[in-house]
Amino acid sequence: MTKIWSNRRQFLAGATALGVGTAILGAPRVARAAGEVKVLNWQGYGTDFQAGVDAFQKKTGLSVVHDYYTSEPEMMTKLRTNPGGYDVVLTNCVWNNLASKEGLVQPIDTSKISHWNDLNPAFRDSERLNQDGKVYGVAWVWGTTGIAFNEDVYKPAPDTLAKLWDPALKKKVALRDDAVEVVSFGAIMTGQDMNHPTDLEKVKAKILELKDNVNYLWASEDDWHKQFAAKAFDISTMWGGAAIRAKTGFKLPVGFYIPKEGGIGWFDGLAVAKDAPNPDGAHAFINWMVDPEFYTAWETKEGAPASANPKAMEALPDSDPTKVAASDGDAVKRLQFMAPLSDDERQRYSDLWAEVRTAFAK
Amino acid sequence: MSRRTSEITNGIAKIYLALVLLFLYVPIFTMAAMAFNRSPLYELPFQFDLIWFESLMSNDRLLRAGSNSLIIAVINTVIATVLGTAASLAFARYQFRGRTLMQLLLLPPITIPWLVIGTAMLVFFFWIANVPAVAETCRAILPAAYCAPRSKITILLGHVALSLPYVIIVVSARLADFPKSVEEAAATLGATPWQTFWRVSMPIIAPGMVAAALFAFATSFDQFVISYFLAPPGVTTLPVEIYTAIRKAFTPEINAISTIIIVVSMGIMLITARFYKFGGER
Amino acid sequence: MSPRQRQIWSIFSLTGPAYLWLAVTIFLPLSAMLYCSLLDTSPLVPRPAHFTLANYAAFFQKSFYLPLTWWSLQLGFWTTLFCFLIGYPAAYALAKKIKGRWREALFLLIVLPFWSNALVRIFSWTMVLRPNGLIDAALHWILPEAPHIDILFSYPAVVIGLVHSYLPYMILTCYISLQAIDDSLMEAARSLGAEAWTVFRRVVLPLSLPGVVSGAVLIFVPVIGSFMEPRILGGPRAVTLGMNIEEQFTVTSNWPLGAALSFTMLGIVILFFLVLYPVLKKRGAFA
Repeated sequence: MTKIWSNRRQFLAGATALGVGTAILGAPRVARAAGEVKVLNWQGYGTDFQAGVDAFQKKTGLSVVHDYYTSEPEMMTKLRTNPGGYDVVLTNCVWNNLASKEGLVQPIDTSKISHWNDLNPAFRDSERLNQDGKVYGVAWVWGTTGIAFNEDVYKPAPDTLAKLWDPALKKKVALRDDAVEVVSFGAIMTGQDMNHPTDLEKVKAKILELKDNVNYLWASEDDWHKQFAAKAFDISTMWGGAAIRAKTGFKLPVGFYIPKEGGIGWFDGLAVAKDAPNPDGAHAFINWMVDPEFYTAWETKEGAPASANPKAMEALPDSDPTKVAASDGDAVKRLQFMAPLSDDERQRYSDLWAEVRTAFAK
Repeated sequence: MSRRTSEITNGIAKIYLALVLLFLYVPIFTMAAMAFNRSPLYELPFQFDLIWFESLMSNDRLLRAGSNSLIIAVINTVIATVLGTAASLAFARYQFRGRTLMQLLLLPPITIPWLVIGTAMLVFFFWIANVPAVAETCRAILPAAYCAPRSKITILLGHVALSLPYVIIVVSARLADFPKSVEEAAATLGATPWQTFWRVSMPIIAPGMVAAALFAFATSFDQFVISYFLAPPGVTTLPVEIYTAIRKAFTPEINAISTIIIVVSMGIMLITARFYKFGGER
Repeated sequence: MSPRQRQIWSIFSLTGPAYLWLAVTIFLPLSAMLYCSLLDTSPLVPRPAHFTLANYAAFFQKSFYLPLTWWSLQLGFWTTLFCFLIGYPAAYALAKKIKGRWREALFLLIVLPFWSNALVRIFSWTMVLRPNGLIDAALHWILPEAPHIDILFSYPAVVIGLVHSYLPYMILTCYISLQAIDDSLMEAARSLGAEAWTVFRRVVLPLSLPGVVSGAVLIFVPVIGSFMEPRILGGPRAVTLGMNIEEQFTVTSNWPLGAALSFTMLGIVILFFLVLYPVLKKRGAFA
């Protein structure tokens, strides 16, 4: 008498489950080869703006399929493990060089971008999107990281980075839980180059001074909104565009400024992946993304960072808060733009932040 | 114990249980309450409104994610419970070399952060799906799209793998108290192994199996990391939707769908408890 | 087939499917990760990689890993302890004092919070624990002059959140052990003259030990690697090893370091287990 019952039972159960499962899960969609543009980007960041996608489909007949990432290293992993899996990829001023050096993105054929000459040369020709005379990213949008504060609490409005260190602000400050951003602001405060500070000990000491003031570390726009509304903090580092959206969209009393000592600037470039299955479609899509018609719809309906295409900015109504913020020349002059970092630097900043967090938690 | 003392202790027991349940449900009530609150940022004062339920009904993406989660979780529960119970039976019944090692091997899946396991799985599946022998065998059995490194099948593979240790540990705990003499008695009376299991053993370990199944379901239904890494573009599950949506702003539609799921589950569970006794008479 | 062969066949067919599944989906990928932890470059980056033990050495060299690990272990300990103190009596009450259909219903109700999404659930805790949150509001409704409760973004808040998330494990595992204890055993002990406390200590507790131990394992082990509750409920005042491991994958792309830290954590857990196993086995915690 052998115990085959256990075998048979499991086999039956397994086979049934597999059969039922296959039936219920349904036939998988077979990827359509032509007529499709595959995009890799953050979720809810412009390229999947429904009205824009629909308009693109109407104009070109191409449908847009999205895959998302939640961190830039993840974006790199996806590019590395999916050759031929994407057409358009969002890479920012920090990562575009790294992606092109590794051969993950191909040179842009600028003749296919009709708006090429309209783009702001400061971003378009930046060495962070170009390499060896070839263009690897089309400048798309740009933004800032500065200080957001509760307008009802701070009257008159402050204007310095040092405000965060004000001893009167116990448990009122929030920082972003991001090693690079913290090091950047620490470097600005200690008068060093934001991207490559030479004296990290000084930066660390400066950040440690914030220990009693920091009450919250935010990680996403959403939890920033919720904790700001719950008054967990009054003042924090924050992206400019997001601060505007908090005010106009959620009616929160948010003020924003680029500090006197300096603020962080960044810009995004749309790149075409190596082995893109539809490079022509990719170029067409990128061209649409820098089109003023798309941008004005995106900004007015949903809220967007500033466009790298000055013509798109001009097309906005004068009262548009993003337009107003972007036109503030003095503020823009105070920005230092993010640059690519080596793995070693990134590790050192991450370790610094880990040491600071450990000290905060003691 | 006198009857009076017995009544008092019974009363205390019931109150204590009620308090524990209250603790367990405080965030659930809060979550449900916010589904009916007009503010998208969970602000008080409370203003009753059904807008989130309304917009949920037209949020195809979220609804599809919810149904994906449910289906995968159910299949996962069935497979994991069956496979895990079988393994537990082997551990309980037999002493064999390597048993301790096999039990120790259950620790890595619950110790190592899911992020690490997910990344490892992704890279491994990616590599193995491109090995010609594997790819051909797979395509002979299943449609091509299921043989990709990221597919509904690989999601299921991952979920079951993460549920198995829980099932095995929980059922083993029940089997530790299992009176082997009962099985031997049944065998002496002429029952086949199948009959012994189905009619004698299983009713006794049933509470363990049910608890294990409930854990397996929870592990799968709320599994974010593995689903995220192994999902092909266009396929999402509920936790993935929630997590990726927090980048911008997730609306209380998520509270609405969570509330619906809890209420429906509660209903199903109470009806099941009414008609099926799985705890034994004791 | 001889009885011995039948037994071997039995063992294989019972454990085979589960362990084959685990081998393909977890053990093989993790072996690849183990290999990766001994390299000095992430696997997918096109740079030549060399063997190194530096990633494991980093655990001792960098100043923050030991405090981080110690805190993570403490978190695991406190959470498991409170889950036991709260959960065991609840399981006992459910197994021994509640009869009939209610018992099944309550059993299921205890598991139900598990099925809600963890992120939303933890976030709901922020609403309960913050100043002007649910607890604070209730307190002020009774005592308007009381100071504001500010437990959010603190270590206790993290413990509360973790205990809440993991309590059902303890309650259920203890329940299934307790429920198996025959009431007649307890009556027999009492009729032999033992007091209620002795009955509990000498009969009930030892027999329910398997449930307690499996509950403890299912709680302690995941908690030391947790990062969601510490991040959301602890704010700047909680940082765990799990969070740092996550950073190595989402910020620094340093998979070898992240993998090495994970296996170090696994090593610590196995160490615990190996030390406690003989003690627990003697007391009947395992079959």
